[in-house]
Amino acid sequence: MAEILKVSNLEKYYGNKDSLTKALDQVSFSVAEGEFAGIMGSSGSGKTTLLNCISTLDSVTSGSIMIRGQEITGLKSRQLAKFRGSALGFMFQDYNLLDTLTGFENIILPLTIHGIPAAVATAKVEAVADRLEIRDVLAHYPYEMSGGQKQRVAAARAIITDPALILADEPTGALDSKSARRLMESLDRLNRNLGATILMVTHDAFTASYCQRILFIKDGKLFNELIRGEDTRKEFFSKIIDVVTLLGGDAANVL
Amino acid sequence: MYFKLSLRNVRKSLSDYTLYFLTLTFGVCMFYVFNSLEAQEVMLSISLSMLEIMHTITKLMNGISIFVSLILGFLIIYANNFLIRRRKREFGLYMTLGMSKHNISRILLCETLIIGVLSLAAGLLMGLFLSQGLSVITARLFEIDMSGYRFIFSLQAFWKTILYFGLIFLIAVSAGTLSISRHSLIELINASKHNETPAVKKPAMTLTLFLLSVLCIGIAYAMVLKYGIATFDRKIVIEGILGSIGTFLFFASLSGAMLGLVQKKPSFYYKGLNLFIMRQINSRINTTYLSMSFICLMLFVTIGIFSTGMGMTGVLNRGYSGVIPFDVSLEVPGADDPWALLAQSGVDLQDYADDFHRFHFYRYDLQALTQGTILKEVADLLPEENAQDIVDRLFPQALDVVALSDYNALMQLRDKQPLALGGSEVALMSQFLWVDADFQSIIEEYVGTDGRLSLGGTPYRVQTEILSEGIVNDSDHLMTLIVPDAVIADCTAVTGALCFNCRGNSAAMQDALTVQLDALIGEGRLPFKEGCVTRNMVQAVMGGSKAIIAFFAIYVGIVFLITSAAVLALQQLSEAADNRQRYEILKKIGADDALIHRTLFKQIAIYFLLPLSLACVHALVGLKVANDVVREVGSLNALQNTLATALLILLVYGAYFLATYYGSKQIMLKNGQRHE
Repeated sequence: MAEILKVSNLEKYYGNKDSLTKALDQVSFSVAEGEFAGIMGSSGSGKTTLLNCISTLDSVTSGSIMIRGQEITGLKSRQLAKFRGSALGFMFQDYNLLDTLTGFENIILPLTIHGIPAAVATAKVEAVADRLEIRDVLAHYPYEMSGGQKQRVAAARAIITDPALILADEPTGALDSKSARRLMESLDRLNRNLGATILMVTHDAFTASYCQRILFIKDGKLFNELIRGEDTRKEFFSKIIDVVTLLGGDAANVL
Repeated sequence: MYFKLSLRNVRKSLSDYTLYFLTLTFGVCMFYVFNSLEAQEVMLSISLSMLEIMHTITKLMNGISIFVSLILGFLIIYANNFLIRRRKREFGLYMTLGMSKHNISRILLCETLIIGVLSLAAGLLMGLFLSQGLSVITARLFEIDMSGYRFIFSLQAFWKTILYFGLIFLIAVSAGTLSISRHSLIELINASKHNETPAVKKPAMTLTLFLLSVLCIGIAYAMVLKYGIATFDRKIVIEGILGSIGTFLFFASLSGAMLGLVQKKPSFYYKGLNLFIMRQINSRINTTYLSMSFICLMLFVTIGIFSTGMGMTGVLNRGYSGVIPFDVSLEVPGADDPWALLAQSGVDLQDYADDFHRFHFYRYDLQALTQGTILKEVADLLPEENAQDIVDRLFPQALDVVALSDYNALMQLRDKQPLALGGSEVALMSQFLWVDADFQSIIEEYVGTDGRLSLGGTPYRVQTEILSEGIVNDSDHLMTLIVPDAVIADCTAVTGALCFNCRGNSAAMQDALTVQLDALIGEGRLPFKEGCVTRNMVQAVMGGSKAIIAFFAIYVGIVFLITSAAVLALQQLSEAADNRQRYEILKKIGADDALIHRTLFKQIAIYFLLPLSLACVHALVGLKVANDVVREVGSLNALQNTLATALLILLVYGAYFLATYYGSKQIMLKNGQRHE
C-alpha cells in the first residue's frame, strides 16, 4: 500500500542555547494509505508536538515530513494554509467547533473556504452527516449538543474535504466512556468503509485499542511499536496495557 | 506592592487600550479648552457689547460642559466596566492566591487612579496649548484684532476639569468594585469560559420586529418632512421618540433579519467566510444593539450639528458690512428728531463725532405701499415650500420710502458715490440680499424685467440696480424705496433717524455713548429704548451667534464623535481575544492569513458602518428639514456643508476604525505567538 505519511529524523527543539528541550528527537515512522495508526505516550512525551508538526501548525527544527510524497516542512504560509485545507482533516480534544455556527455551518465551512459551489457542498455535508448519524443535530448550535455529538460534528468537518490524512488529537479526551465508544466505532467505520487514513494521538488505552498499529513515544523518542494484526480488540487492549506499564506510566495513564 | 502590580497592569492594558486613553485625553482637553473661554478675554481687544456676549457664551459653554461631562462619564464608566469584565479571570486568580476582595478593590482603585491621573495630566497639557488657539478662532469669529499674544492659563478651568473628572473616575471605580464583589470566585475564574448564549429568536419574530422598526422610522420621517422642525412642540417629541424606538428596534432585529434573508441565497451565504462573518455579527449584535443604537443616534446628532453649524456660520460669515453702514445709528418713531430728543436729555453728540445726517423714513399716503406690492409681481417665483408663509407674513409689512437727497447725503457721509435718479425713477434698497440666494434672484428678476411701480397714478421705473447696502444699522426692513424728493410731499414721516461715524477710537467712542445712553435710559430720562444701534453691538451679536454655533458644533460634535468611535473600538478590541480562538480554528481548517485578515477587516468594517449608515440616512432627512428652517435666515449650501462634514467624520471615524483593525490584528498576532 502507498505511503501517505513519511516522517524521517524529525527533531523539534524548544528554548535557547542555555536550556534546550528536545521535544522530538530523531523520530522516524510512516503511515500507509487506509491505515488507522495511533501514537501513545504520557503527558509531556512529545506526542502533541509531533502531531502539531505533522499538521503544519508548528515548525520543525530539522528532519523531513512527506505527505502524499510532498515535502511540507519548507512550505510558505500561503501554501501551508492551502495544503492544510485540502490534504488534512483535524479533530481536537476540545472539538474546536465555532460556537456561533450551527453544526451544518461548521461542517460546510472548509468547503466554502475552498470555493466549492453551495449546492455541491450542501449535498456533501448531508451525505457525511448521514454516515456519522448526526443529521438531527445539524441545525443545532454547539452549546446545544452533547460532547459526543460535538465530536462527531468535528469528525464530519475533518473528513468533508476528503483529506489524505485525518489527524485526531485526543478525540475522546473530553467524552464519557459511552460517547467515547460510539465515536471510536464511527472512526473505525470511516477507516474500514471509506478507507480514510487516520493518525490519532491518545494516552487512553481503550481508545488506542481501535487502532491497527500503535507507536509509543517517550521523552521525544520512539520507544515501541505494536501491531494489532489478527488480534481481537480485547487482546490488543491488554498488549497495550502491558506496554504502557513498561513505559512507566502509572495507573492514571491506563484507564 | 499593590501599586507596582497596578502599574504593570496599566502598562499592559495601555498598549491594548491606547484608543480609550487617547479619547479620554482629548475629552479632558476639550473640556478644559471650552471652560477657559473667560480667561481668554484678556487676549482680545473687545468692546463692552462683546464682553457681554462673551459672558453669555461662557455661561452657555458651562452648561454644555455638564452635558459633555455626562457623556464622557458614560464613556469612562462603560469602558471601565468593560475592562473589568474582561479581566474577571485575572481577579479570580488573585483571589485564589489569597488576595481579599478588599485588596482587589485597592488594585482597581490604583489602576483607575493611574489612568485617570495620566489622561487628566495629558489632557490638561494638551488643552493648555489648544486653548491658545481658541482665542485666535474667537478673534476671527468676532472679526476683531488680538490685542497682543499672552500665554493663558485658566486656574478656574483647571480645577473644574480636575473636579469633574475626579468625580467621574470615582464613580467608575465604585461601579467596577461593585461588579467584582457581586461575583463569587468560581464565577470569576470561569468568566472567560462562560459561553454567551445568543438570544435565539424565531425568524418570524425577528422579521416582524424589523418591519416594525422600519415602520416607526418611516412614520417619524414622514412627520418630520410634513410638519418640519421649526417649532418646538409635542410633534417634535413624538418624532424623536418614534425615531429612537425605530432605531433601537432596527439594530435589535437587523442582523437577524439580514441573516434570514441571506440564508435564503446559499450561493452567497455559503461562499468563502461569508457565513462566518454573518454569524459573528449576529452573535454580537444581540448583546451590543443597545450601544449600537446610542452610537447611531449620537452620530446622527453629530452630523446634524456639524452641517447645520457649518451652514449657519457660513451664512453669517458672508460679510455684514451692508447691515452696519455707520458706527452709530439712532431711530425714533414718528416725526421726532433723535438729535433734539438727545439734546433735551443733555447729550451732545458733538462729543462723539463731527459729521451727522438726520433724516426720516416716510409712509406714502396716496396708496398702500407694502412689501407685497413689489413681491406680488414675482409671486410665481417664490419658493414653493414656504410661499404661503411669505405671503402671510411678509406681504403686509410696510414699504417705507426715503428721499433721494437724504440717501445721497448719507452716501456722502460714507464717502460713497451718490445715486443718480431720473425724475420718474425710483430705486429699491435691500440690505438682506446676501442672506438668501432665492430672495436675491427673485428681486433681481423683478428689477431686471423692467420693473414698474405706480405711485399715486404716476408710473415710475424701478432702477435695474438694487442698492444692497443699508442706510441705518441693523434695519428690520426687508426692502426700502428711494424716491425723488418731490414724492415726499405726499408722505408722512414714520421714523426719525440719525447716522454718524465716530471720531478717533471708534470702538471706545461707541462704548462711551452706549454707557451714557444706558445711564439715561436707566434714569427714565430718555424716551427711546432700542433706537440706538452701534457697530459694536451688531458685530457682537453677529460674532456671538457665530461663536455660539461654532463652539457648540466643535465641542459637542467632536465629543459625540470620539465617544461613539471609542465605544465601538473598545468593544471590538476587547472582543479580539474571543475572536482569536475562532480565527485560530479557521486557520486550522485551511483559511490562509490573507483570507483571515480580510475577514477581520470586513467584520470590523461592518460594525463601524452599521450605526454610521443609519445615522446618515437619519441625517439626510433631518438636514433637508433643517435646511428649510435655515433658509428663512439664509440659504445653506447644503451639499458643500454635508461634504465637509462627511470628510471630517470620515477622517476621525476612519482613524478609529483603522486603529481598531490594526489593534485587533496585533492582539491576535501577539496572543498567537504567546500560544506557541
